[in-house]
Parts: sequence; C-alpha cells; structure tokens
Amino acid sequence: MDPVQDYYAILGVAHNTTEEGLRLAYRAAARRFHPDVNKAPGAVIVFRDINTAYEVLSDRQRRSEYDRLASVQGLGTSNLRLITSYSRRFLKRLDEPQLLYTLIKIQPALERGLTADAPLNLCLVLDHSTSMKGARLQHLKSAVHRIVDECRPEDILSIVSFSDDAEVLVPAQHPTDPRTIKALVSTMRPEGATAIYQGLRAGLAQIERFCDSRYVNHIVLITDGRTYGDEEECLKLAREAHLRGVGVSGMGIGEDWHDNFLDALASSTGGSSTYITSADAVSRFLQDRIRSLAAAYAERAHLIVAPTTRVDLNSVTRISPNPMSLSVEPQPIPLGTISGLSPTMLMFQFHILTGEAGPGEFYVGRIDVSAEVLGATNRAERVVQDLTVTIVEEDVEEEPPAELLEALSKLVLYRLQDRAREAIAEGDFAEATRKLEYLATRLFENGEEELGQAALREARYVSQTQTLSDEGAKRLKYGTRSLLPLPGDRND
Amino acid sequence: MIKCPYCQHSMMEGALFCEECGLSLWEDAEGQVPTRKLEDDSDDFSVKSGWGTATFQPRNQVIVHVRDAAEPITITPTAEFVIGRRDAASGMIPDLDLTPHGALEKGVSRMHAALRRGEDVLSIVDLDSANGTYLNGQRLAAHQPRLLRDGDEIRLGKLVFHIYFK
Repeated sequence: MDPVQDYYAILGVAHNTTEEGLRLAYRAAARRFHPDVNKAPGAVIVFRDINTAYEVLSDRQRRSEYDRLASVQGLGTSNLRLITSYSRRFLKRLDEPQLLYTLIKIQPALERGLTADAPLNLCLVLDHSTSMKGARLQHLKSAVHRIVDECRPEDILSIVSFSDDAEVLVPAQHPTDPRTIKALVSTMRPEGATAIYQGLRAGLAQIERFCDSRYVNHIVLITDGRTYGDEEECLKLAREAHLRGVGVSGMGIGEDWHDNFLDALASSTGGSSTYITSADAVSRFLQDRIRSLAAAYAERAHLIVAPTTRVDLNSVTRISPNPMSLSVEPQPIPLGTISGLSPTMLMFQFHILTGEAGPGEFYVGRIDVSAEVLGATNRAERVVQDLTVTIVEEDVEEEPPAELLEALSKLVLYRLQDRAREAIAEGDFAEATRKLEYLATRLFENGEEELGQAALREARYVSQTQTLSDEGAKRLKYGTRSLLPLPGDRND
Repeated sequence: MIKCPYCQHSMMEGALFCEECGLSLWEDAEGQVPTRKLEDDSDDFSVKSGWGTATFQPRNQVIVHVRDAAEPITITPTAEFVIGRRDAASGMIPDLDLTPHGALEKGVSRMHAALRRGEDVLSIVDLDSANGTYLNGQRLAAHQPRLLRDGDEIRLGKLVFHIYFK
C-alpha cells in the first residue's frame, strides 16, 4: 500500500464512493485498459495501477487503513497541476478517424513562491579537442568562469575536460574557492580528438559522489565535434544516469557535431540539447541552462499516456522547454525537470474513431504525470488527468484555444524540416526539396525572413547535392525549434 | 476527410494544419481566400492577399498575363505544354512562344518550362533552364513539378507573368 498514490483518482471516483461505485468504476477501467483489448504502450502501466488501487479500496479493512494514512499525508492537495486544453470539445460522430489535439501544461499548483531553489549537483563536461582551438576554447573558459562565480555555496560543482581521455579538472565540491577553480579551468589546452564517452563516464562518477534526490543532479556536455564509435556506449551511460536520477544536457558548438546523437543522449534523460552557432554565445546558453536548472520546481518527471480503445496516440511533442518530439515507447516517458518559472508544455495528437460511440461523453484516454517536488515534505507527486470530449450528431462551431493554435503553428514548421530530413534519409530528394520549399513559404508568412532564406538555400542545395549542408541542417532544426517556446507563460 | 486547398493533401477531420505543406486550415475555414478578379488591373501583383484555388478542371483554360503586355494570352494546356522561345536556327517550337514579349533579352530558354495537366490540377516544371523558373518568388529545382494556383506569379529568367484559371 502506497499512501502517496491517490487511489481514488486512479480509479476515477470520489473519496466517499460506495463499494458498488468502486466496482462499476473498476469494470469501466478494465474495458478501457485491459491488455486483452488495449495494446497501447501506456495502457499496461495504467491498468496495473488501476488493479493495485482496486485491490486496496475493495478490501474494507485495507481501505480504512489507506484512508487514515492518506489523510495524514494530505492527499488530494497535489503540488503539481495539469492544465488541459483541447482543439475542440465536441466531435461529430463519423465513420472515419478524426484528429484531436490536446495541449497539457504541467506547473506548480500554486502561483508563486514555489521555486524551491534546490541546490545543484552540477558537472560540466568540456571538450578541449584540437578543433576547439582559438576563440571557441577562450569563450568556453570565460563562460565557465562566469558559472563558477554564479554558483551558490550550497551547490556542488565538478568539472571534467576531455579529448582522447578525460581528466577531472575540479573534483565534486562546494565552490568555496572560486579562484582556484577558475585557474584550473584556465589550464585547458586544445589537443587530441573527441571521445565523448570518456568525458561522460568521468562526469557521472563525479556527480555520483553527492548524488541525492535533494539536489538537481545534472551533467552539461559541451562539444564541437563528433565522437567516433562510442555513440552506443554513450547512450547506454545516459540511460544509466537517468535511472540514478541524473539529467544530461548537450550543447553543440559550430557545425561538425552529431545532432541526432546529442538529441538522443539528452532526451533519454529528459534533458535538453542546444545548437550554438558562434563561440561568443556559449556563455549566454550555458547561463540560461544553469539558471533554469536552479529554478527547478520538480525533478525526475515522467509521463504515462494511455489512449483508450478506438483511440490512437499519433504523437507527443514537448513544446516547452526545449522542444522535441518524444518517443511514446518505452513508457514512462522521461520529462526531466519541471521549472518553477514556466510550465512544461506537451502537445498530443490523437486519432479517434467515433463510429460506434453513442452521443454524449467520450473517454479519450489518461495522462499520468509523476515527479519529485523539491523541497516539499511530500516529495513524490502524481497527477492523473482523464481526457474526455463530447460526441454530437450535428456540427458544433468551436474556436480552438489561441494558445494551442499558436503552439501548433510553430510545431508544424519544426515538423516540416524533420520530414525533409527523413525524406533525404530515405533517398527521396524531390520530396525533401518540396518540404523545404513549403517550409520556406511558411517561414516567410511567419515573418521569419532569415530562416526562410536558409530553407530556400537548403532546398537548392538538396536538389544539387542530394544532402543538406551541415550548417543549414542544424540552423533549420534548432531555428524552427527555437520558435516554439511561447512568450507570456504562466497565464491560465 | 478534408483536403488542403494549397497542396491537395488529404487529412483527417479536425486537422488544424496541413501535415504536408504546413498551411493553417483554421484561417482557411473562415473563408479568407478571395478568388482573384481578372479585371483587377493593378500592378501590385506580387503582394498576395491569399491563395487562389489549385483545382484545375479538364474544361479550364489558362490566361497568361505577361507584365506590361497589353493583351492577355489564353492557352489550353495539353498534358505537357512547353513554354519558351522560338529559335529559327535549331527549329524548336514551344507550345507558347514568348518571343513577342522580349524573351531573348529577358533570358528565356528555348525550352524553358512546361505546364503539366494532372487530375484536376495543373503544375509547372522547370526544364533545366539557364536562368531558372520562379514560382511566387521561389526558384524551382529543375525537373521537379510544383502545383500551380489561380493567380500565381511565374518568372522565367527576367520575364514575369501571372496565370489565371478560366
């Protein structure tokens, strides 16, 4: 029995429900999520939790024991809040599948004063290979110096530099002697190749010396090159790090690093990845990243999403922070850090078959978000949200919520460049050119003159060379991505 | 199913954006796409207030309005309708000869571009011309057809014309 779980919410019933009410709710849940009828990846987990909840609540003695524990823990007053908006609330009954977009915002339950100011357990893993020579390494050093100055006494900092091998420049410690730390950073010289695995492994070892759920445990990897042959080992290490509650963020400088690899590395921990065009922007990006980590409200957030039968989950995309499409398998899906300053926003696309449904309420599926709220006494938090729409026989005029439309309009741009890359990977260059031209048109419509020109250049480049230019590919990807975070967060 | 008015891609009911070309279908639902009037003689063709229809029926003809020309040209595109410049030396004759409109000085190739009739659509393809084909300001990659819409601006080298579906 886990008093942290709100079994009533999981079964979708009120706290004072009768035994008959429980039984009916359980039957309904089984029809929606039983593995025999629902093969969706999240459904297995949701049904397992429903079973556990029913086992406890259907036993009179265990239920009263649970109620007593739960009232002590203060259940029903979650510190996390989900805000849901749908592209429409009414669906006309049709014999063909229909599309429903759902935007979920995850944020602190209270409006202000809830940034936990959790201490950081931070490791900077820095590339000092030959290609970093000159301005890049100089800018990197001064960026790190600034971070050292910004660290708070309760934070823990470690710094690892790597090329062919890794070296622990600064072992994990409270930054009480910033001067010495900065001097050590200054000793980095450009030499050798880029072996990211070595750097990551040494970084994780430093993080683990103080790894604790009181901290925001995070590795920031900064590189300008490709790692050869050890990608798989790096990804494996990132997954291990994630299991131990450590996040990884990647920052790539210039054109030569491997973006899909860095994305995969970061997303397997719920972290983020960024493209830095010029060396002098390193400081700004690094500061932003670390400030947002320091403003963490909850850590190690996870998402479970289970559509009911007759509904398919087509895609999940994180809109903010650090937009990226999330893989729906395996579940739970790592979401990383929930900021106290701006909500985490997710866009879901469902395909719904309404043909056999009667008019009235239609159950779409369940969203289940769990996270460890930093600083709160009740650390593990979980919110369950059931999604429903109404089936009608006549068309209903509805205006989609402005926030959802805005997010979607930018998401479409990001997807166009994604599809162009897929087409190139599949050898369909005519399709890739077409997608890039569409992307250019939409970017111009959005007033994104520079990115639009970049898309046009790439369209021409693809038709001539059958590939994207290294620089253009990254510009478009991270450029369309950076359009996504919405201004004016926190207004609901 | 709903069809994107820009690229004719089919999508599910409830889609707010075209998955294929990124067009917002929501604005479209409000009917902001006026059909362009032919009498509109203003010179400001490049400022587009919306997109014309992409539907091109078998009985439709195309009116070609060359910039600064007095008379529009009406053509009936065949399956492959070549636009270019007549050249006595090589004896090549395009379906639409733009020589009277200064094709030579404006860099139009002999076989510059072609209109292609598809099922209820019309597209344009650049035939690897020396100075390029531009559709609404975008240069086309050679041999890759693009869908045409009522009111589109086409530029062959430096020669600009608009097309209207009739």
